Amino acid sequence: MTERREELLDALYEHTLNGEAEPVVALTNEALALGIPAVSILFDALIPALEEVGRLFEEGTYFVPEMIISAKAMRAAMIILQPLIAQTGAKPLGVFVMGTVKGDIHDIGKDLCNIMLEGAGFKVIDLGVNVAPEAFAEAIRTHQPDAVGMSAFLTTTMPMFKSNIEYLSGLGLRSQTLIYVGGAPVTAAYAEKVGADGYAPNGSALVRDLKARLNLAV
Amino acid sequence: MNPRERFQAVVNHREPDRVPIDWGRHVGSIHRKGYARLAEYLGDPDLKNRDVVLDRMVQNVVLDEKLLQRFNVDFRWISPHWIGVREVAGQDAYIDMWGITWTYMLNAYSLTNSPLKSITTLDELERHPWPDPYDPAIFIGLREVARHWHENSEYVVVADSIKGGLLTKALQIRGYESFFADLAINQPFAEALLDKLLWLYKEMWTAYLKEVGPYVQMVYFTDDIGAQNSMMISPDTFRALIKPRLKNLIDHIKGLADVKFMYHTDGSVAPVLGDIADMGVDILNPIQTSAMGMDTYRMKETYGDRLVFHGAIDVQQMLPFSTPEQVRYDVAKRIWDLGRGGGYILSSCHDVGEDVAPENVVAMFDAARELGEYPLRLENVLKPEDLRPAAVAEEAPQKSSAHRARPRR
Repeated sequence: MTERREELLDALYEHTLNGEAEPVVALTNEALALGIPAVSILFDALIPALEEVGRLFEEGTYFVPEMIISAKAMRAAMIILQPLIAQTGAKPLGVFVMGTVKGDIHDIGKDLCNIMLEGAGFKVIDLGVNVAPEAFAEAIRTHQPDAVGMSAFLTTTMPMFKSNIEYLSGLGLRSQTLIYVGGAPVTAAYAEKVGADGYAPNGSALVRDLKARLNLAV
Repeated sequence: MNPRERFQAVVNHREPDRVPIDWGRHVGSIHRKGYARLAEYLGDPDLKNRDVVLDRMVQNVVLDEKLLQRFNVDFRWISPHWIGVREVAGQDAYIDMWGITWTYMLNAYSLTNSPLKSITTLDELERHPWPDPYDPAIFIGLREVARHWHENSEYVVVADSIKGGLLTKALQIRGYESFFADLAINQPFAEALLDKLLWLYKEMWTAYLKEVGPYVQMVYFTDDIGAQNSMMISPDTFRALIKPRLKNLIDHIKGLADVKFMYHTDGSVAPVLGDIADMGVDILNPIQTSAMGMDTYRMKETYGDRLVFHGAIDVQQMLPFSTPEQVRYDVAKRIWDLGRGGGYILSSCHDVGEDVAPENVVAMFDAARELGEYPLRLENVLKPEDLRPAAVAEEAPQKSSAHRARPRR
């Protein structure tokens, strides 16, 4: 059993890394049938696979297409695993509210960050694109997130970070959560200038920074 | 030298009398709100075309001839017409000739629907209502405009892009996530879409150059293969699926007219500069210096004998967040980095946004004219470390050939 378990988890890891959804689904079912807990499939195979995807992306071996198909493979497995994990009462690492700011509908960068956050075990509330300050506020009230991520692709929409943060401060919500900003034209210096808590150039860096701030094992 | 002689020197990698200056194309003009500010700053109530939009999507303008002369612009651009545009009822939105929906937001139109995002078969791909590449309305009247500039001026006449590129158009029409996934796991479909687009562009360029071919010295093709910190797709995917088709298109275009080919890609593309030269690209635009690895000095050292560089005046970080003095310094640096021995055409690397101060626009063009004269005399302008950047050690190969094994607990 132990040997077969390790073989299955290795195969799940490999096929997730390669973005092969069909074998990932088949292996997930096989692993469950063998009595491997859903949580183990998630934490011992899928999450390590997505971490490796992130590392390969950062070092320039993987690009957006490879990342997207790995995420699709993981999502296919999660459809099976999610209800089983929910039954165990296992909690996500944390809750992250994500959105592209008002006036901006670019979603690729945001979606890649979501992939890495979910791949690391966070629950992501994706507010989508063109997100008004009021919607960020509402999501903070409703979901009590550990962190909020705001994305902007354009120099002309970046000023919304500051507007959003000021709006949240006015409502007394600013101090309840960490705020990250990111997107193509955004820099760490700009993030600091607008009063954000953090900035990350990609999803893997975001996960590392967030885990460190939440005192989670990196 | 007149503009055409200047251009010929540059594209033949010889020193011209001064660095040529370009502005006013469809990915390289100014947003209409920025144009209004610029006109106000210049104190010229006669500056025309404030409402003549060149590219509806980005809301830039057709620049007034007076302004082109004020900024010593050496190029005059011929732009194809938009056809088959349908308005979306009840919204400030339109559907373009490819079937892609664009919705107005903040100050420009953003992509809000990709018509092929849900299809799964090649039959459905074929059944899409593709634009008619032979529709004469796309190029009507352009022959006269091109001939006018050719015969009555010494400016370089350029055929602007038929909007959208090969990878870019595939991503827009199929949806970014879907087409990125196709490239990785559904290559027959990806190739069928790319082939369809390639065929349409070739037919359109045939019709286009039949009209303007004898009068233009350069053509422009706008694609995008780069993102901020890396390429959008791997160099291997680019070489396997995109490069051969672009080479096919470039060979086709060069067989139709005696023109130089300018290829546009934003973003970080340093790993494939050699491939871009291999495809037959003469001039690379826009050299986004704010993207990862786009080191202009090194780029010139490595590829300066094979590629002419166009653009390099950054609109993302430099122009919006600099003083006029800093703009002048950056212009000097790009002229020095890319223009040593010729081979550089200066321009804003994309449309100048409404967030750029008019002072900076004027500083860019004035500095280009003042500092671009050959022989270059920038020793008293640039810091020693910018005149002779320290040799950068070749990057040690960081990549692991294989991925890591699954960690065991």
